[in-house]
Amino acid sequence: MPLLETRDLTRLFGGLAAVNGVDLTVDKGEIVGLIGPNGAGKTTCFNLLSGFLRPTRGSIVFDGEDITGLRPHQIAARGLVRTFQLTTLFQEMTALENVLLGLHLHSGKGPRQVLFSRRDFPADEIARGRDVLDFTGLAAHAHQLSRNLPHGHQRVLGIAMALAAEPRLLLLDEPVTGMNLDESGRVMDLVKTIRSRGTTILLVEHNMKAVMGTCERIVVLNFGRKLAEGTPSHVSTSPEVIQAYLGTGVAHA
Amino acid sequence: MRPKLGVPIVLATVVGLALLVPRFGGDYYVHVFALVFTNVILAASLRPSLTCGQLNIGHSAFMSIGAYTSALLAKNLAVPFEISLVCGALLAAAVGLAIGYPSLRLRGVYFAMVTVAFVEVIRLIAQLWVSLTRGMSGLSGIPKPSILGMTLTTRASQYYLVLGLTLVILLVLWKLEHSRLGLIWKSIGLGDNLAQSLGVDIARHKLLAFMLGCFFAGTAGAFYAHFIRFLFPPEFGFLMATNILVYNYVGGRGHFVGPVVGATFLSLLSEPFRGSPYETIFFSIAMLLTILFLPGGLITLPRKLAELRWWRTASSPTPSPAA
Repeated sequence: MPLLETRDLTRLFGGLAAVNGVDLTVDKGEIVGLIGPNGAGKTTCFNLLSGFLRPTRGSIVFDGEDITGLRPHQIAARGLVRTFQLTTLFQEMTALENVLLGLHLHSGKGPRQVLFSRRDFPADEIARGRDVLDFTGLAAHAHQLSRNLPHGHQRVLGIAMALAAEPRLLLLDEPVTGMNLDESGRVMDLVKTIRSRGTTILLVEHNMKAVMGTCERIVVLNFGRKLAEGTPSHVSTSPEVIQAYLGTGVAHA
Repeated sequence: MRPKLGVPIVLATVVGLALLVPRFGGDYYVHVFALVFTNVILAASLRPSLTCGQLNIGHSAFMSIGAYTSALLAKNLAVPFEISLVCGALLAAAVGLAIGYPSLRLRGVYFAMVTVAFVEVIRLIAQLWVSLTRGMSGLSGIPKPSILGMTLTTRASQYYLVLGLTLVILLVLWKLEHSRLGLIWKSIGLGDNLAQSLGVDIARHKLLAFMLGCFFAGTAGAFYAHFIRFLFPPEFGFLMATNILVYNYVGGRGHFVGPVVGATFLSLLSEPFRGSPYETIFFSIAMLLTILFLPGGLITLPRKLAELRWWRTASSPTPSPAA
């Protein structure tokens, strides 16, 4: 049974089909890339999967449960957690606070303990937050305000927060955009490590080198429809894909 | 990180000074400071809602509900003060739930408009339901506060009561703000989509923060009713609602003590104008000056001054090498 399965996933904006009849499956333990030219419907797809948009038609099944139409926080609580392209973190909080917020789903602290305990956060929760920062290489910046971190670290912190929520499927929206070669290489290594620890990954990314080097399977969208699907080498040589990216003129050349 | 020892010392000094007010000040000062503390409760209890990014300009309505509920219970049914106070606070929170549930989905200015309208609705109910509230004649003959059957007859004892209430409420709000709940409120204010994506039920937490504020506003209102012993509907109008908001902004939104500082400072400074038309002008000017010169509020004043001094010492002895 696939971890995530969409059937005929469709979202109309007025008369425009931003996502049109997409069947998408992600198996447990995979790293799947979702690519396509600008406006292909990748971000809309993410918004549908994470509950920020309701599909006009179609269904989303996560781990055997129909999650179509659930609210974002309910979907996150089931283990499907996403990151964002732009607002990736809470600028006015420290790195550790950002991660502690991600942990909140899995903390059983009741209101009585909040009022009568001497500590603001239980020690084990802080320790778990530090573990996540350690794992992502941000331990040295735990108490820094996240807006003061360099861009690369900010993006990684965005991933760390999502990890703290203990996802089974992690949706990464353009994790290496705006990074140099060195930084993007490190993030992609991190993505592979996350997968090796048992989290399945679906990512949207424009950086083809990163996508081709990391993903085992790639799904190509164009004008809201699924255009192609397969291994990186299959997809990168597919004539339809080349045509979608470069236009017909080059395909004939 | 600020020094660990400084906070308890400042806290002890402030509380110590507050305890000494009835000893050295006359009844006038006791009266003034009791009202200052009422305002501190109101301002601090608005903070959770503001932190969630909800512009609430309706806090005085919940104070009014607490005040009238407690006053009427005590006056007409001889309910003891402690119980009428809790009933007032609970009813304020319940009305908060009824108003908040449908309207918290609204954002920014739309939510603010609902709260403004609500202030007027509550004021009109208090004004027009003459058989219950005596309307514009005002509700008088409210019994003095009492604790365990002992009536607090002196101004000083009532002062200690409100001081105690304020400290307890501030402690509760402080604990909440520094727990995960506070982190969640902050996250909703900073980016509600991101918070949702991490599993935060933003609707529930906004409602909780709002109701918490309503509960404490009701508490402040109940004390006020038994302290002043006369309720007049227009008192709890739009003006007071904006004042509570202004306390927060003038004091500063960046730290827990912001509303406490703002409420204390403005209540004391506006005391000579209380009840006169100049009060509005005073608050408007205070707000304008803050926005223009101290956008972070009064709590950023020490840092601003330190920066100024640094600039002066740094720029005067060394002539600019670029010249």
